[in-house]
Amino acid sequence: MAGYADVKRRIKSVENTRQITRTMELVATSKLKRATDRVRATRPYAEALHEIVSGLYSPSLSEKYPILRRPDVTKRAAILLCTANRGLAGGFNANLIKRARNLMEDLRGQGIETELHVAGKKGIAFFRFRGVEMLTQRTDISDHPTVDDAESLIAPIRERFESGEVDAVYLISSKFKSAMSTPPRTRDLLPIEADAQASSADAYILSPSGDVILERILPAYIRNAVYTALVENAAAEQGSRRTAMKSATDNAGDVLEHLTRTLNRVRQAQITQEIAEIVGGSAALE
Amino acid sequence: MADGLLNVRVVSPDRIVFEGEASAVVAPAWDGQVGILRGHAPMLTLIGSGEMTIDRPSGGSDSFYVAAGVLKVERDRVTLLTEYAGDEPPEQIPADAIVFADDSDG
Repeated sequence: MAGYADVKRRIKSVENTRQITRTMELVATSKLKRATDRVRATRPYAEALHEIVSGLYSPSLSEKYPILRRPDVTKRAAILLCTANRGLAGGFNANLIKRARNLMEDLRGQGIETELHVAGKKGIAFFRFRGVEMLTQRTDISDHPTVDDAESLIAPIRERFESGEVDAVYLISSKFKSAMSTPPRTRDLLPIEADAQASSADAYILSPSGDVILERILPAYIRNAVYTALVENAAAEQGSRRTAMKSATDNAGDVLEHLTRTLNRVRQAQITQEIAEIVGGSAALE
Repeated sequence: MADGLLNVRVVSPDRIVFEGEASAVVAPAWDGQVGILRGHAPMLTLIGSGEMTIDRPSGGSDSFYVAAGVLKVERDRVTLLTEYAGDEPPEQIPADAIVFADDSDG
C-alpha cells in the first residue's frame, strides 16, 4: 500500500486539478450565456433573408449568374470546416474533424476530388499532422465572430465556385441544440438549394429586377449562413466545454473521496502498528 | 395594428435595429430615396447606403444609417434587411453595396 505522504501528495494534486476544472467550468458558463444570446440574435435576419431568397429563386436564372450555376457533374468539392482554437471541450473538435474526414472519404468514394479549408487551431493542427493540404488556415476567429470574419472566410471559396474551380461547397460546424447537445452538422452551401415552391415574386414591384436583386443578395445569403454557423459554433464550443469541465470536476470529487478513505486507512494502520510495537516492546521487558 | 400605421422591422445580421409602428418610412433605395406610407403596393427593392428615417405615430422620428441590403413591403409590413446599421455612416461601405453607376446590368 502507498505510504501516507504519497497519498497526501496525490490528494493535493487532485484538489489543484479540481480547482482548475471548476474555474474553467465557470468561465465557460458565463461565456455560454453571452454566446447563446448572440445565436438568438442572428435568427430574425436569417429567417427574413431566407424567405426573400426562396421567394425570388427560379431555376431558369441559373444560366445567367455564376453564383447560381448548377454543375451537372461534381468534379471537385470544397469543405469548409469550423473548429475551435482551444481544446478541453470534450469531443467538440474531435467530432467535427471526424465528420470532415468521413465526408472527404465519401466524396472520394464517388470519384470527387476534395479540398479543405479550415478555421480553428484544433482542426488545422490535426490535418497538418496528417499531412493533408489545406487551402485556408484561419486561427483569428474569436469567441465573438463577426460578419466580416464570415465574409473573409467564404469570399475566396465563393470565387472558386463562381469560376468553376469547385462545383460544390460544404460547411461543417456544430449545431447548437443545447449546452448538452452540440452535434456536428454538414450544410450544402453551394450550389444553392432551391426550395421548389412557386416563385411569389410576381406580385411585387421589383426594383431593379428580380434577378438583379437575387444576384446582389445571394452573396449576403451565403455569408450569413457562414456567419450563423460561426456564431453557433462558438456557443456550441462553450457548451461542450462546460459539460466536459463539469464532469471533470465531478470526477475529481469522486477520486478525492476515494483517496481520503485510503489516507485514513493508511493512518490507522500506522497507529495500530505503533501500538502493537509498544505493547510488544513492553512485554519483552517483563 | 392600429389604423393607418406601418409595422416596421429593421434587422441587421446580429440584432434587430428597430421594431415597431410608424406612420411613414423613408429609406435609401439603390436608385434614390423611397418613401413608404400605408397602403403601399408590395415591393422588393435593393438598398443603397444612406440615412433612413422612420416617423413615429406619436410624432417625432428616428433616423440612422444603413448600407446594403434589401427592403420588402407587404401588407403594411415593412422589413428592411441591412448589412450595416448605426448612428454614423459606415466607415467602409460593405463590399456588395450598390454603388451608383458602377453597373450596366441594373
